[in-house]
Amino acid sequence: MAKLLMDQLTKTYDNKVTAVENFNLTVEDEEFIVFVGPSGCGKSTTLRMIAGLEDISSGTFSIDGKKMNEVQPKDRDIAMVFQNYALYPHMTVYENMAFSLKLKGMPKAEIKDRVRNAAEILGLMDYLNRKPKALSGGQRQRVALGRAIVRDAKLFLMDEPLSNLDSKLRVQMRTEISKLHQRLKTTTIYVTHDQTEAMTMATRIVIMKDGVIQQVGTPKEVYDQPDNVFVAGFIGSPAMNFFNGRIEGNYFVMGQTKLLIPDSALPEGLDNQEVIIGLRPEHITHKPVKDESTVEVNLDVVELMGSEYMVYATLEGHSFVGRVDANLDLAAGTVFPMAFEMDKARFFNPTTEKRIR
Amino acid sequence: MRTKDFAYWLFLAPVLIALTLVVVVPMLLGVYYSFTSWNGINTGEFVGFQNYIDLFKDERFLDSLWFTTKFSVISVILINFIGLSLALIVTSRIKSSSLLRTTFFMPNLIGGLILGFIWQFIFIKVFASVGEMVGMESLQGWLSTTETGFWGLVILMSWQMAGYIMVIYIAYLQGLPKELLEASEIDGASSFQRFRYIVFPLVAPAFTVSMFLTLSNTFKLYDQNLSLTGGGPYNSTEMVAMEIFKTAFMQNAFAYAQAKAVIFFVIVAIIALLQVYWNKRREVEM
Ligand SMILES: Nc1ncnc2c1ncn2[C@@H]1O[C@H](COP(=O)(O)OP(=O)(O)O)[C@@H](O)[C@H]1O
Ligand SMILES: [Mg+2]
Repeated sequence: MAKLLMDQLTKTYDNKVTAVENFNLTVEDEEFIVFVGPSGCGKSTTLRMIAGLEDISSGTFSIDGKKMNEVQPKDRDIAMVFQNYALYPHMTVYENMAFSLKLKGMPKAEIKDRVRNAAEILGLMDYLNRKPKALSGGQRQRVALGRAIVRDAKLFLMDEPLSNLDSKLRVQMRTEISKLHQRLKTTTIYVTHDQTEAMTMATRIVIMKDGVIQQVGTPKEVYDQPDNVFVAGFIGSPAMNFFNGRIEGNYFVMGQTKLLIPDSALPEGLDNQEVIIGLRPEHITHKPVKDESTVEVNLDVVELMGSEYMVYATLEGHSFVGRVDANLDLAAGTVFPMAFEMDKARFFNPTTEKRIR
Repeated sequence: MRTKDFAYWLFLAPVLIALTLVVVVPMLLGVYYSFTSWNGINTGEFVGFQNYIDLFKDERFLDSLWFTTKFSVISVILINFIGLSLALIVTSRIKSSSLLRTTFFMPNLIGGLILGFIWQFIFIKVFASVGEMVGMESLQGWLSTTETGFWGLVILMSWQMAGYIMVIYIAYLQGLPKELLEASEIDGASSFQRFRYIVFPLVAPAFTVSMFLTLSNTFKLYDQNLSLTGGGPYNSTEMVAMEIFKTAFMQNAFAYAQAKAVIFFVIVAIIALLQVYWNKRREVEM
């Protein structure tokens, strides 16, 4: 149970690389926070500062109001799961999980209780006497989780815990970790580069780029109301489509194409301004009735995904993806009227790439 | 198939011939001589096991064997302890670690004979002067007693080999995954507990290599023995290699020395194989 405060956290490495800059975040008790961003954006560095494995260059980090900057990792009461499991190869599964408790000087019987309890939750009862090398990737990851659970720590930190697993197992473990969190309610910070994991697991997502927070919000917020082009493009799969053009009256104009924007959706003062608009694939689709935001496009690629098609096409030099119900008959190379749901469009400033509301 | 066999043996031939000429033949000849009364000039007659029977009653030989064993056991422990400690120091985050590495390794580059003379000077002259200054009687007359001769040899050998063994431990320490140490830190281990429960068990494979090297080196020691104490006083710090050498070249009892050498060989081989076997088995268990 912990409330975290990160105030202006900054990390500059010896080689003058600033990995994290001005990181501000408050984490409430029982939250499941996900740090997400492309590789090298400073997620691990931030997590390691929280763990105490990396010195904080400036700023403060506190747990429950107590400043932690100078506190040793072992005294922070945190548990951490590493990407490559970091299981002790010379210890059995049981010993791996019991290690931290043993160091605390906990009585043997209680250790046994706790380890068995964790092993039961994680389905590891049959493997307690095995060494890590005799386990599969998924089992190893469970042991790593178990090692964190038995601690009953204030805070769980996980650095890309699933990225060494195959995709099927990854989905399965994702749900297991979510369930675990619902059960234990321990405040958790989870690092991943995979936006799907972020969207499915987080109570709040922190999106980072080049060491700077881009946006903090619930999965729904960052999906529906992205603050800038980076967030809009990073969250969601397939990614949001972007079109560069200008606003003329109530129309978005690019080249020969004009798309009508409903009054309610158009931010004020954009007339005659260059903008980027963003539309999610589900908002470029088929409508039975054509209107002023329907455009005939040549379909480059059509992928049937079962219940719907992913449609790849090009409009005025912008490639985009749309989604169309699978009831229709679509084929690549044909011309098809695509409806752009301009009421769902997001507007961005083309120079700052910030959202215009 | 035939040509393949031919090529196989052709490529193997240089090594086989060399090995046969310089190892196998001399070895067999040596074993043969140990059953004769060879004196270096005449092969002499075949005397059966007489040499072997004699050597087990030869107190000087048995003393040197015992001395060598004591010396080896203590040196192996010390060298490995110091080597591992040095490795831990230079792999920790201190500034001058590469300078220290070089310094610790240096003694190895000096030949055993010269090293012996250097330490002879230190033990006899420097120790005496320092002893005089601080008034410690125990620093006087080093190397003049069996006791000080023994420890002199141990110190010399540890000083020389620890840096070498350090290099082996460094390799293993640097091979330890960083996350394991971090994980243990987060699990609440102090630096001592981290060493005790994580680092030490994981560098155990290095013991196999290091113990083999130190053991065979200390058991077969000759140069340092010769230059530091020369076996004195009264042959009491004479090690097996030196004892055998003297038997052969001072007393011209070549066949007898040969028998001792055979026994010595058997002992070293057994010890080396046993400890490799034990250490390997422990590694597998982990
Ligand atoms: N020990 C280090 N020394 C110097 N630079 C580092 C170190 N660790 C990470 N960096 C740099 O800091 C930046 C952020 O790294 P990291 O936090 O590992 O990114 P992420 O986990 O988001 O992929 C990268 O540019 C990386 O090169
Ligand atoms: Mg990382």
